[in-house]
Amino acid sequence: MHSRRIRQTFLSRTLPFWLLLPSLLVLAVVQFYPGFYSIFLSTQDFQAGTMKFVGVQNFDKVFGSSSFSDSVWLTLMFLLGYALLTMVVSFTVALFLNRKLRLSGFYLTVIFIPWVLSDVIAGLVFRLFVVPDYGLLSPFFASPLFGSPDGISLLTTPPPSPLTEAIPFPPAPAMFLLIFASAWKAVPFITLLILAALQTVPKEVLESASMDGANGISSFRFITFPLVIPTLVVAMFNLTLGGINGVGMVFSLTSGGPGSATEVLSFLLYKLGFGQLEFGRAAALSVLMTIVNLVLILVALRISRSDSEGYKF
Amino acid sequence: METTSTSPAYLKRSARYYAFAKGAQPWIFNFLLIIVCLFMALPILGTMLTSVKRQVDVQRKPPLLLPCDTETRDFDVNACRFVLEGYDRVIDIKPNPDALFGFEMQGRMFSTYIPNTLLYAVSASLLVTLFAGMAGYALSRFNFRGRRALQLAILAITGVPLLTNLISLYQLGVALRKAFPGYEERIFLIIVYVGFGLPFSIWIVKAFFDTIPRELEEASFIDGCSPVQALFRIVAPLAAPGLTSAFLLSFVGVWNEFIAGYLLVSKNALKTAMFGLYDFIGQFVIGYQVLAAACILIALPVVILFLFARPVFFRAMVEGALKG
Repeated sequence: MHSRRIRQTFLSRTLPFWLLLPSLLVLAVVQFYPGFYSIFLSTQDFQAGTMKFVGVQNFDKVFGSSSFSDSVWLTLMFLLGYALLTMVVSFTVALFLNRKLRLSGFYLTVIFIPWVLSDVIAGLVFRLFVVPDYGLLSPFFASPLFGSPDGISLLTTPPPSPLTEAIPFPPAPAMFLLIFASAWKAVPFITLLILAALQTVPKEVLESASMDGANGISSFRFITFPLVIPTLVVAMFNLTLGGINGVGMVFSLTSGGPGSATEVLSFLLYKLGFGQLEFGRAAALSVLMTIVNLVLILVALRISRSDSEGYKF
Repeated sequence: METTSTSPAYLKRSARYYAFAKGAQPWIFNFLLIIVCLFMALPILGTMLTSVKRQVDVQRKPPLLLPCDTETRDFDVNACRFVLEGYDRVIDIKPNPDALFGFEMQGRMFSTYIPNTLLYAVSASLLVTLFAGMAGYALSRFNFRGRRALQLAILAITGVPLLTNLISLYQLGVALRKAFPGYEERIFLIIVYVGFGLPFSIWIVKAFFDTIPRELEEASFIDGCSPVQALFRIVAPLAAPGLTSAFLLSFVGVWNEFIAGYLLVSKNALKTAMFGLYDFIGQFVIGYQVLAAACILIALPVVILFLFARPVFFRAMVEGALKG
């Protein structure tokens, strides 16, 4: 009886530890270990299974290369186009859906289907439309406005046309298409987030505002919009993180091409590591990307925390 | 004084205008939303259309929207040529008296890749749900040292993508394969999937536990339950919606995952459906209708899952993103 009680108290005192243990073990192997191993690997010259310490040479090689600086610019262009397009479309659609029409649920369901699709399938779906000669949209993309009609062939990666090389954006149809397809895939989730925020705007406040003579535009400007700003910030960070790290869509839609017109950082990382088997350099790039991710997340957490303390209604 | 100077006619006109605007508004928004829906569905509808075309109709120059033209007319309903050839080539059904239902699916998509994906998705999601349930309960109910720091750490790694860890995980997989002769690649892949589903799931499940009043467990303690019994008998059933959403979200996540399934297992026979798609992008055979059919067939299970469990998905996603 006595020993039983002791065992119980020991178990119940350490219970949270035992409950957390499986998760912590898995996270240690899959999340923490790779982070530290990348740091180690980034200082090594990895050739045919043997390693040699080379200090910061990998970082020098990666960050000094023109493919890296090009890739940073392409990533920024992609992020800008992707985030802006997604936010504007999602916010508009969320405002429509917030009208609480009888069919709102149905519309939301239809709009949401792209979210369920895999990046790879979404990319292929768009690629099928622009396959040179055969894709349904290929005549449109063959117009001189878009430069090379062979921009995103399914079978070959043709050399970039002079036009797309000179002005990488927006005439490059591949980047345009990548932004468009990525936004198509992201709009459902962001719409849902913004819609959820719009629905927490208290009705009474809007009603009393309209009784005080506020019209639709000014009650949106002074009541609704300020209340959904925290959600817009969350959505923005969500999009940025997804945009930096999403590789599936690039993989199946453009494969970084034509040439390197859509070689964003995530694809460059894949290419360095598994295309050119430069594991040391790939690790250096992944260390940089992990730092960028962590900084973005911590800033996002900081903002959403300070907001949740400020907004209590 | 200002108001008396406005004419009654003006007031009447504006009242009529507002009545009109109020009556017309739902129609305008319905119309706009239908356009949005069409726009979102168009790529999928287009792929479906491609998937039921014949090889010759897919390879027309210039491309043909509907395979319904005749020699004399551009469109003739009677001449429409819709076939299931694409689907047939993906599934490749052959009669086989020894098989379970008298036929077998010889296409590798259905004989190998989709069963693999199903195995990974179900086992990873079950583990995610179990582990996230335990961890979420611990974080929600117990106050121990380092809890806040741990919570923050878990929250922070929800944003760490699989991609940046992939180089290390790939090397780890290679090392394990060398070290253990009978090494099972699939277990490693499943653990990786669990690790990437866990942080977000812990977060959702914890949020659900937080909404369940503690008094219920305290009452069960008085009745003689241990904390573990209370978790499995009292709290877990109440948190079922949260656990279901963790399961469903990680199922969809694993089903749709491509790059880890492609890189972390070496044998083609163990690879996933997303990898299987590349079977249909041959260098010489251009079967766009086959590729389209494969896309539709792979996406169908998760789309159906989503349509049935919509509210669970919506609630979990909003909670997960906004409470974070």
